Amino acid sequence: MISMLYFVVESMGSFCSRQQPLNEVDSDENKQAAKIDSRIAEETKAEQHIHKLLLLGAGESGKSTIFKQIRLLFQTGFDEAELRSYTSVIHANVYQTIKILYDGAKELAENEPNSLKYVVRADNKEIGEKLSEIGSRMDSPCLTKEIAKEIVTLWNDTAIQETYSHGNILQVPDCAQYFMENLERFSEVNYIPTKEDVLHARVRTTGVVEIQFSPVGESRKSGEVYRLYDVGGQRNERRKWIHLFEGVTSVIFCAAISEYDQMLFEDDTKNRMMETKELFEWVLKQSCFEKSSFMLFLNKFDIFEKKVHRVPLNVCEWFKDYQPMGSGKQEVEHAYEFVKKKFEELYFQNSKPDCVDRAFKIYRTTALDQKLVKKTFKLVDETLRRRNLIEAGLL
Amino acid sequence: MSVAELKERHIAATATVNSLRERLKQKQQLLVDTDVAAYGRSQGRSAISFVSTDLVCCRTLQGHTGKVYSLDWTPEKNRIVSASQDGRLIVWNALTSQKTHAIKLQCPWVVTCAFAPNGQSVACGGLNSACSIFNLNSQVDRDGNIPVSQILTGHKGYVYSCQYVPDQETRLITSSGDQTCILWDVTTGQRISVFGGEFPSGHTADVLSVSINSSNSNMFVSGSCDTTARLWDTRIASRAVRTYHGHQGEVNTVKLFPDGQRFGTGSNDSTCRLYDMRTGHQLQVYSQQHDGDDNDIPTVTSIAFSISGRLLFAGYSSGACYVWDTLLAEVILNLGELQNSHEGCISCLGLSSDGSALCTGSWDKKLKIWAFGGQRRVI
Repeated sequence: MISMLYFVVESMGSFCSRQQPLNEVDSDENKQAAKIDSRIAEETKAEQHIHKLLLLGAGESGKSTIFKQIRLLFQTGFDEAELRSYTSVIHANVYQTIKILYDGAKELAENEPNSLKYVVRADNKEIGEKLSEIGSRMDSPCLTKEIAKEIVTLWNDTAIQETYSHGNILQVPDCAQYFMENLERFSEVNYIPTKEDVLHARVRTTGVVEIQFSPVGESRKSGEVYRLYDVGGQRNERRKWIHLFEGVTSVIFCAAISEYDQMLFEDDTKNRMMETKELFEWVLKQSCFEKSSFMLFLNKFDIFEKKVHRVPLNVCEWFKDYQPMGSGKQEVEHAYEFVKKKFEELYFQNSKPDCVDRAFKIYRTTALDQKLVKKTFKLVDETLRRRNLIEAGLL
Repeated sequence: MSVAELKERHIAATATVNSLRERLKQKQQLLVDTDVAAYGRSQGRSAISFVSTDLVCCRTLQGHTGKVYSLDWTPEKNRIVSASQDGRLIVWNALTSQKTHAIKLQCPWVVTCAFAPNGQSVACGGLNSACSIFNLNSQVDRDGNIPVSQILTGHKGYVYSCQYVPDQETRLITSSGDQTCILWDVTTGQRISVFGGEFPSGHTADVLSVSINSSNSNMFVSGSCDTTARLWDTRIASRAVRTYHGHQGEVNTVKLFPDGQRFGTGSNDSTCRLYDMRTGHQLQVYSQQHDGDDNDIPTVTSIAFSISGRLLFAGYSSGACYVWDTLLAEVILNLGELQNSHEGCISCLGLSSDGSALCTGSWDKKLKIWAFGGQRRVI
């Protein structure tokens, strides 16, 4: 079967025998090594006071929007060149959105029992096919006035409107309405995206993005320096790299609570809220976060509060024991408190006894609302500063 | 054809493929009449015996301020490059244990590094989904850092491992969380070939490791989270030459055996395996009983063969580092129990080009060099 070669190398291991006494070692090399050591020490010292924050959450939970908001709030925001760079992204988003709606209408017309209401008007079909083809291309063409008019026509088709209101089983992005309502502005020849447009723009995060910032207090800088990392929400094997983030000051976990009736982009048989639940559980169990604070952002509250009246919470398996209380604002609050409690229970079920000291706070957020994000972040900053003082033994 | 019908046909086709695969596996099992260790014993061979002074830790390389994730030796001179969670690459003179270069990376989340065949450049990759190349002879900038010479972008997921093609400074292979491996031209930064991805015979999960055959650099093996290893011919990117099954957990590491006809693997299932490249058979399983509860079985993070292949070095997440007698499948030494051993998970290891020394890297932030000592000669 196999014959193993068993040959012996004559020369002895060059390591054990050659113990060079230090004074014989090349002194240039020594100097270089010493320089390197002191540089490493300096760099390490300079970074010690920086609090590292890690944004985690399923795809489309709002992490990137929070990231953009932090830029707008605490850094110099986006300059004109950067705003312009979003034009093609927004145009592409428009084409993607209308394509999803048109293709979705076709699919629903085929499979749903009440199918007639999803059938697009005969004279809109040609537009629909054309837009669907454009939306599938890697590089979308510029959004012209003519095409914008056609998109508006299609958007106003009752079948498309009907599809949009049943968008949960398709992958209709949450900001579809925003895109459709602003088409005229987007198709202007000299269109430069506004900050608001940029916040709504959707690009899948690849790799890692980071920003360093110092939140400004009411009257003066608080002095704390934060570095925020966004690792994107793709479903690759997080466990192969999550341990790189051991020792971060805090994990900011984003959960889009409006997604309880939607399916994943990567797997349309999986409910998004269940995916978020599993991800949160998994993150809590990671030993690399034993000492990190957990900030849970229950995001997309604005969409949640509208949806709760239309779609009962118990369509999601995790929320199946939900009992609606009443209606109007009271019902929204009741539903929100229910969801919040579910996450709290999950947190305590999955935190080991030695993590009892870990700070855990829940925040109700709407990532697109700058004021709210600012307020939320102030609270986060307070919690972390307090934590810092406790750890230093000063509180 | 409607979407529903297409879905049904897809499910049926998948079921057919799976049952064919099962039948193949069973047929292969029937053909395996023995394994390497059983054969060796039947030939009257006995395991090499090692005492604790046969392999000693003679250098400890300190300086990283974070976990060490990867290391690589230069092909001739005795230098090592290491990558760490502290966001740095450090180049060490292994004989004197002095640092010769330290590079602070733009994206600190690095998990792999490699030395170019001529020892003049180093490559690294990680969460930025790219592979960055640094020429060690470049002029340093104001902060004492070496500027990046080339960034290889194109992967859609993290880069988990990289290796230069032996004797070809300008070619490099990376493996990624996007389920593909890519062969790059380092000078132009262009992708020459993509292995896997859209093509059906590619890996179906993140690819964690590559090992290029130094006897025939057109061939390389990759290991993946999909529990298989695959053999590729760089001239034919459209399909894998062969897929090797057997592991019950993700394959973290693959390494070509010195004769280029076989290769070893290490996995989350706590075993190492030896495969025959041509026939696809699993020749041997290297598995040890571990104490402790079932939830915490140590994973094999990295492996290397000694110059002759008689020894298989395997690093584990428990901090153990077993030296296996490849022929008889017995553990003859555990570096993790020796004096001066690491205090944490062994994340990487590698043998020097002349086979006289082994370097291990660990989450305890250190690297250690082990050499054959006493009467023990290099095998």
